[in-house]
Amino acid sequence: MTTALFFHPAAETHATPPGHPEQVARYGAVMAALEGLALDRREAPEVDLSDLLRCHPQSYLDRINDAVPAEGLRQLDEDTFLSPGSYQAALRATGGACAAVDAVLAGEVANAFVAMRPPGHHAERETPMGFCLFGTVAIAAKRALDHHGLDRVAVLDFDVHHGNGTQDLLWDEARALFVSSQQFPLWPGTGDTSEKGGHGQIVNIPLPPGSGGDVARPAWDAALSRLREFAPQLVIVSAGFDAHRDDPLAQLTWSEEDFVAITRAICAAAWSAGAPVVSCLEGGYDLGALARSVRAHVEVLMEAGE
Amino acid sequence: MTEIETLSFEEAMRELEATVGKLETGEASLDESIALYERGAKLREHCEKRLRDAEERVEKITLSASGQPSGTEPAEGL
Repeated sequence: MTTALFFHPAAETHATPPGHPEQVARYGAVMAALEGLALDRREAPEVDLSDLLRCHPQSYLDRINDAVPAEGLRQLDEDTFLSPGSYQAALRATGGACAAVDAVLAGEVANAFVAMRPPGHHAERETPMGFCLFGTVAIAAKRALDHHGLDRVAVLDFDVHHGNGTQDLLWDEARALFVSSQQFPLWPGTGDTSEKGGHGQIVNIPLPPGSGGDVARPAWDAALSRLREFAPQLVIVSAGFDAHRDDPLAQLTWSEEDFVAITRAICAAAWSAGAPVVSCLEGGYDLGALARSVRAHVEVLMEAGE
Repeated sequence: MTEIETLSFEEAMRELEATVGKLETGEASLDESIALYERGAKLREHCEKRLRDAEERVEKITLSASGQPSGTEPAEGL
């Protein structure tokens, strides 16, 4: 079976100010990096409103939609901006993740990568944050649980920043195991080991600034033994590539080989549980490192899907 | 004697060291020793308060998600 790639040019209509790290060019860099790979390429559809409403109240959706400017940019906080195309881009980013869940659960593809922006893992129930508007992976996980009727979904986040939004949205969700590794301390300041969720189902892995794959790989191996015990029916990944040594926003020193090793370990653990993998792009702000790391990550997904 | 509240940290430390010195020589009478001890305890308390006040003013700069300075928060480990 093949690996699906969910994409949509709407990802390029979400603009940020000049010099902003979460820039439009990230999408082009990622798509160019995936050129030539034998992927099942599918356009990301718009998300169903019912999927968004599992994680965000209607009043929040209205607030974001109403804040979208007719032209130019509107700033929501120090980091997060809206342009005229942002809402549509966010609908496709979350819709792509949900469609990827549908495709792997239907057995149409072995696994999937969702190459969309804006990212999602910082968006809390009623708060946009850190370049994120909607909680993409939590929305996809809730669709798998509530719409497809799964009992156990795992969400794994190796973005260098803590997935505080995913943690917020899944805090009381006993059916979802959430594992997140992050540089600590680093913005947003959460992600300590003491944060364990309402049912002990959240695992945080703080990584010291300056540390590399030699620290992260064994930490992930330990967390993945917890994943095996949980026996997920689906694994969703918040795939941020900003732990790379070239990334300008953090101080971890991972290489492409570290992303390969961690992706392989995740795929192996998912395979042993019989769970397909859906991976969603989060951060990664050095365009070269992002492109090389995404390509390496997707090649591992393809290898695992064979 | 000078009102303790008005002393700087350095002045209070100097007087505390002198007070401890007098107590350690054992030359003061019992009454004097008790008075010196009480004065020393107050000086120590004053020095500690001055240190705490200083600690509360030491903050670290916090960065936003995009790496821009976004404010300050109390520094840990003091």
